[in-house]
Amino acid sequence: MSETKKSKHTAGKNSSNLKDQIRRWWWLFLLPVTLAFVIGFIWPFLQGIYLSFCKFKTTSDATFIGLSNYGRALSDPTFVHSFWYSALFAVTSLVFINIPAFAVAYALTQDIKFSNLYRTVFFMPNLIGGIVLGYIWSMIFDGILSAYNTSILLNSTYGFWGLIILICWQQIGYMMIIYIAGLQAIPTDMIEAAEIDGANGWQTLFKVIIPNVMPSITICMFLSITNGFKLFDQNLALTAGQPFIMNPDGTTIKTTEMLALNIYNTFYNSNAASRGTAQAKAVLFFILVAAIGLIQLRFTREKEVQQ
Amino acid sequence: MKTAKQGKTILSIVLGIISIIYVIPMVVVVLNSFKLNTYVKTDTFAFPTGEMWAGVSNFTKGMTFGNYPFASSAWYSVLITVASTFLILLFTSMAAWYIARVDSKICRIIYYLCVFSMVVPFQMVMFTLAKTADTLKLNTPWTIPVVYLGFGAGLAIFMFVGFVKSIPLEIEEAAAIDGAGPVKTYFQVVLPMMKPTMISVGILEIMWVWNDYLLPYLVLDRTKYMTIPIHIQFLKGSYGTVDLGATMALILLSIIPVIVFYLLCQKHIIKGVAAGAVKG
Amino acid sequence: MSFKKVFASLLAAAMLVGCGSGSTGSDTTASSTSGSSDSESGRVYFLNFKPELDETLQELAATYTDETGVEVQVVTAASGTYSQTLTAEMDKSAKPTLFVIGNQAGVREWSDYAIDLTGTAIANELSTDAYNLYDESGKLVSIGYCYECYGIIVNPDLLEQAGHSLDEITNFDSLKAVVEDIHARADELGFDAFSSSDMDGSSSWRFTGHLANLEYYYEERDAGGWTEAPATLTGAYVENFKNLYDLIINNSLTDPKDLATGGHDAENEFKTGQAAFFVNGSWEYAAVSEDVPNARMIPYYCGVAGEEKAGLNCGTENCWAVNSQVSEADQQATIDFMVWLVSDSFAASKMVEQLGVLPYKNAPESANGFLADAANYTDNGCYVMDWATNYQPNVDEYRAGLVAALNQYDADQSDANWANVETAFVQGWATQYAAVNN
Repeated sequence: MSETKKSKHTAGKNSSNLKDQIRRWWWLFLLPVTLAFVIGFIWPFLQGIYLSFCKFKTTSDATFIGLSNYGRALSDPTFVHSFWYSALFAVTSLVFINIPAFAVAYALTQDIKFSNLYRTVFFMPNLIGGIVLGYIWSMIFDGILSAYNTSILLNSTYGFWGLIILICWQQIGYMMIIYIAGLQAIPTDMIEAAEIDGANGWQTLFKVIIPNVMPSITICMFLSITNGFKLFDQNLALTAGQPFIMNPDGTTIKTTEMLALNIYNTFYNSNAASRGTAQAKAVLFFILVAAIGLIQLRFTREKEVQQ
Repeated sequence: MKTAKQGKTILSIVLGIISIIYVIPMVVVVLNSFKLNTYVKTDTFAFPTGEMWAGVSNFTKGMTFGNYPFASSAWYSVLITVASTFLILLFTSMAAWYIARVDSKICRIIYYLCVFSMVVPFQMVMFTLAKTADTLKLNTPWTIPVVYLGFGAGLAIFMFVGFVKSIPLEIEEAAAIDGAGPVKTYFQVVLPMMKPTMISVGILEIMWVWNDYLLPYLVLDRTKYMTIPIHIQFLKGSYGTVDLGATMALILLSIIPVIVFYLLCQKHIIKGVAAGAVKG
Repeated sequence: MSFKKVFASLLAAAMLVGCGSGSTGSDTTASSTSGSSDSESGRVYFLNFKPELDETLQELAATYTDETGVEVQVVTAASGTYSQTLTAEMDKSAKPTLFVIGNQAGVREWSDYAIDLTGTAIANELSTDAYNLYDESGKLVSIGYCYECYGIIVNPDLLEQAGHSLDEITNFDSLKAVVEDIHARADELGFDAFSSSDMDGSSSWRFTGHLANLEYYYEERDAGGWTEAPATLTGAYVENFKNLYDLIINNSLTDPKDLATGGHDAENEFKTGQAAFFVNGSWEYAAVSEDVPNARMIPYYCGVAGEEKAGLNCGTENCWAVNSQVSEADQQATIDFMVWLVSDSFAASKMVEQLGVLPYKNAPESANGFLADAANYTDNGCYVMDWATNYQPNVDEYRAGLVAALNQYDADQSDANWANVETAFVQGWATQYAAVNN
């Protein structure tokens, strides 16, 4: 008892020595990242917040105008549309990615032949960038749809499901990896015990396996939602918002335009007056994504406590 | 017992069929990269036989497409990816060790800002980041890694700090008692221990930077530099008629190194992704 | 170490490194421009908006650098992305020194960023003031660097093979008769009437930017001329636009339902004799005349009364502005480069070959057959259809809306879908006008 206490004491002393020594090297260890972080994140972030209250053509000619950018952003029908569209997309993709991903992961952990090969294949699309993915699929969809004299650019239903197919192809493999990790972490004796107790396959799945991979499920669900909301490259390359609908008042709704693309288009594609509005939209977008992140943190924390 | 075995065989076959469906898009890219442009749209799924066969003409044409050599785009993509990943791995792991070990108020502030930055979407900072990077001349392939280090620090720091906290202090203390300074301790003792996390973070950063479109598009000096995603995006809807055959050839060329890389480091990639996701 | 101390030293270090990176930054610029210039001679950065001109400009830029040692960079915005590229580039430290302000909307937006060109060397080279743009205060914001025309390019040899002649075509009805006859007999003749009218970004401007001009022009004529963009359109001639548009898409090599995604090479279809008609402009002459030396251009006949007296659509949206936010040395270098482009015998002849007529005193005569057609129409007392299309408000967004509506219509030529086109055409104008002028 006193032995351990003593060693703990010296360890504490040593560690504080080490701490002081490291501290002297702050300029080597901490400074480079901090500087880059200020340049690449902190400063642009703060300036971004400031500009959302400004009217500006370029960053150098900003004039403060208060909250009106936010008013304009929220009353912009294209922004509202892209929000609901993104939300619908995020929820739909959540279902269509995670159920197959879990099923495949479950199957691959059943000790079947060629499971490594299959895992390799399923994960592969994840390595291809969004722009390239978009063009690959736009070629494929148009190859199919041109036989029916239509195109993915002409029908927003095709545009929506096309993007879902694309995103499933890309992300099922990714989520599958996370599920496999979760499934492999379940102690085998737990499953064996359930089987000995006479549970059938489905009962084991729902009563033992799923509760035990709940952390993975939570992570995957939040990842799908966040990815869905943040999607940009694939959206740009596949449909770029087409087809458009003209409202009777002449405003255009880009039916397949998601939030990130809407912000981008507001920024760069219209006139100077809307640049502040675009920055305000970006702040709102950030709040939305951050809120989802915070909820996720709560969830995962709670789960950890329960375990 | 027998039925279970049969069930597994059936399962394996089903997954095999799904796998084949899964690779079809890639096969279609290969087919069309050897097909004359006019047939890409009309006969997307046909083999490039007979009059459709374009030989390697799509590849040679693609090389100088858009009055910009594809080889330059590829070189800049490689340069930016390698340099950014190297910078991120080196500096964030060092900072993470400092943050975990010193654990002062400022360390905690930086750490929480990093965690915070992970939830900030790029659109929030794109306009101002482009301006800042431009002012500081971080708009070349040689300097843009600094931007990646800054914007990508969050996840890397988060993962490294998590790992360092799991390393027992005793090893470092032993080194310190032997008279090694922090720099020596870090590079000789801590860094080797971090290898698995290094690989995980490295993989995630490589995948991110290599495929990134918007950041380099907005930040890089457009008069001189392109990366592969920018190049491919530029081919659509820019110069006169879109040559789909040549575009597919370039897409194939840009995918091949990724696939090779994947097949070589598959184990690490899959581990890295799992680690990144679970922690992020 | 206290928090404050750390923070203070951080700041100090940040400033130090900031200075350091600043100076290394200028080092890299210096080295990248070295061999071509020092700080005195300035640099030229031309943000070009005509993709088809890119190759020529790149070549001329290299030649100019070889000859004078002045660094010239040409960046071409992908079509439909000029305004976003300009926005992004204007916020950078290496701003474009030379850019395009092609219409009054552009003048309103970017006038602050352009110098007054009055009395500059390039302005003194001009042979006419007709294509210059001024802002409200009378400042010369941008000056035309070429003069173009567009209409319907025709292959007269193919018409003759089909038993017709170019002289038959004098208005919409006669055009329609010829076109529909050729299309009906396409299999037998081995060629069709119109080449493809793709609606992807590389081609849609031929319709949303050019063909649409016929509507704007006749409205403008009714209104006694526009001096600035009207807030609304009456849409009185949308029906005429439909006449010609329908004729083009329904009598072509390509099924209208297949136009949305593009991928057809209309220029090649015309050059190789697969199609007798091709909707485009004078800049195509160099490319087309190699294979179809007799190619001619006829007006947009669309069923308007008195259109037998119509001429080609003549004008320009190619107007140079020099950036007021760059150094004087850069401005001077830019103006020198502009003068060289329009007066040097090699450069100007290249430009003339690609662009048609350069409205400058020392530029060579144009051998462009389509511009000759334009001049013939004028000489014969026909009216010039000027480029009212330049008034399109918030042009990229406006055209995007129109493209989308036309795509729906191409896929299914129903009345409801045409109503959408009309909305995009007329209401879209009002909406985009309001968006820009708010």
